[in-house]
Amino acid sequence: MEPNLGTIVRSISIGPNREETGLESLQFREEIHRLMTVPPENGSSFTELLQLPETQAMELLHSAHSDEVVPVPLSGEPLHGINDDHKSYLPSFNGNLTFPSNKVLIERAAKFSVFASGEHSPETSSVPSDSSANLEKVKSEPAETDSNPNSSQLLVSDPAVNIKNQRSEKRKEREKKGKGCTKKSKIEISQDAEKLPYVHVRARRGQATDSHSLAERARREKINARMKLLQELVPGCSKISGTALVLDEIINHVQSLQRQVELLSMRLATVNPRVDFNLDSLFAPESGSLADSNFHSMVSPLLWPEIPFNGNRQQHQQQWNFDALHRPLWGREEDNHTFITMENSLLNYESANSASLHSNQLKMEL
Amino acid sequence: MRSPSSLKQEFLKRWMRGLQRCTSSKKDMNVLERKKVIKLSADLAIASARNGTTSWSRALIANASRDNDNRILAERILGPESDILIKRVSTSVGTVSCNRKIRSKKILKRSCNSVRRVRKGTHLPQKVLAKSIAKRLVQKRTQILKRLVPGGEFMDELSLIEETLDYIAYLRAQVDVMRCIASATELINHMNIGGNKMV
Repeated sequence: MEPNLGTIVRSISIGPNREETGLESLQFREEIHRLMTVPPENGSSFTELLQLPETQAMELLHSAHSDEVVPVPLSGEPLHGINDDHKSYLPSFNGNLTFPSNKVLIERAAKFSVFASGEHSPETSSVPSDSSANLEKVKSEPAETDSNPNSSQLLVSDPAVNIKNQRSEKRKEREKKGKGCTKKSKIEISQDAEKLPYVHVRARRGQATDSHSLAERARREKINARMKLLQELVPGCSKISGTALVLDEIINHVQSLQRQVELLSMRLATVNPRVDFNLDSLFAPESGSLADSNFHSMVSPLLWPEIPFNGNRQQHQQQWNFDALHRPLWGREEDNHTFITMENSLLNYESANSASLHSNQLKMEL
Repeated sequence: MRSPSSLKQEFLKRWMRGLQRCTSSKKDMNVLERKKVIKLSADLAIASARNGTTSWSRALIANASRDNDNRILAERILGPESDILIKRVSTSVGTVSCNRKIRSKKILKRSCNSVRRVRKGTHLPQKVLAKSIAKRLVQKRTQILKRLVPGGEFMDELSLIEETLDYIAYLRAQVDVMRCIASATELINHMNIGGNKMV
């Protein structure tokens, strides 16, 4: 289907906007994680988790060049808001992002995040792991901006291609969802964890839903693409955002079309009360008054106001005349329709009509 | 996807054929009867122009041939191919879908109840609440859309959107053709009346 191509192109052009909303949703999600009470984890996974940003950031540093400075303050921002008294640590914390090979700093930052979280249990609770996961995500951002156009073409069906692509794909998904369904994001985090060497507590849950969630994601993707198409199709709908509002517009459009059909059939029924069926008069060669070619040529421009009057018509009518001579009777209208090959069906219909009229005229002359 | 002009042509052809079949067998109709025939034949024509390959077209034919008095009319309009179409439709849509509908409604109700119970029991944060409200709004719209698109009750979300896309395209073609025919007949009537007066 050719509409798919169009959606791909569109999604590429939309890219930068999504990037921004993605950043917002990231912050939003961080806040949600803070608000939520998360089941506790074992400590060993935590230390391993720290290794993760290091290796990945190294590979990401290669691909991401100058953009890397941009996301860093963004990552720091929510932390700023929460604990003001630890501000002095924050520069070093940010430094971690740019120089990920420094293990000491990473550990310190992790401790800091543990203690900064305050009222939670002093042992390694889920909070540090969450914050480090956020860290990792923020770092991966520039790379994702690079690979975003490619990823829009990727499908979920091929999961083991490339870590970067996969993650950007997931990222796209997250952006698309926008609302940031917390349950989904949890699953995604656990999936991130699954790929990496350490064991996550919630991994079991992620494993259970893995193929399902992939399928679900593919389905969502499809639905979103179709919604885009619908938005294009329905007039005045392309500028509206929000599924409910778009659906409202679609419902209105369908309803109006159905009402129009209803009204038009009523109008057709009332148009000619005497003749049993009015459309027959359009086709009937016996009606006499219609068989006047002058009359027809006078009426036709009025009849079909939408159709541009092209010069080809004369030529076609000539051809019809010729055909009509070889045709014994114009009995079945299917024949007229089949041998006509023109672009516009209405013009087509009209010319079929005129052909019949011409044949009739010829008969009368003979 | 077919081009709109060929679609219009196909629709017009089928519509005219159906109307001719109908009017040849039955004369003397009042306005309402005629309107019903025109509407029914137009619907059936647009559905059979789709060749019964989509759910909405099948559902349209099935709905038309469900009522007893309509069935005869529908068969007459559809003509020789009516048997094939209606049989195909009734096997696919028929009783199975009715059962499915009832069952799915029950499940829906049950799940709604459970969700509500959970909601009442715990105090959720505001964002989660807002999200659930938005979700419910979308669900309500989807239900309405399902009622509008013929056969939409039995579709899932994805196929509903696809069918809606298709249905809108065909409805547009139908409306275009019907409007053209209506204005044409009105004009010809005008001319006829004027001509008679002149004579």
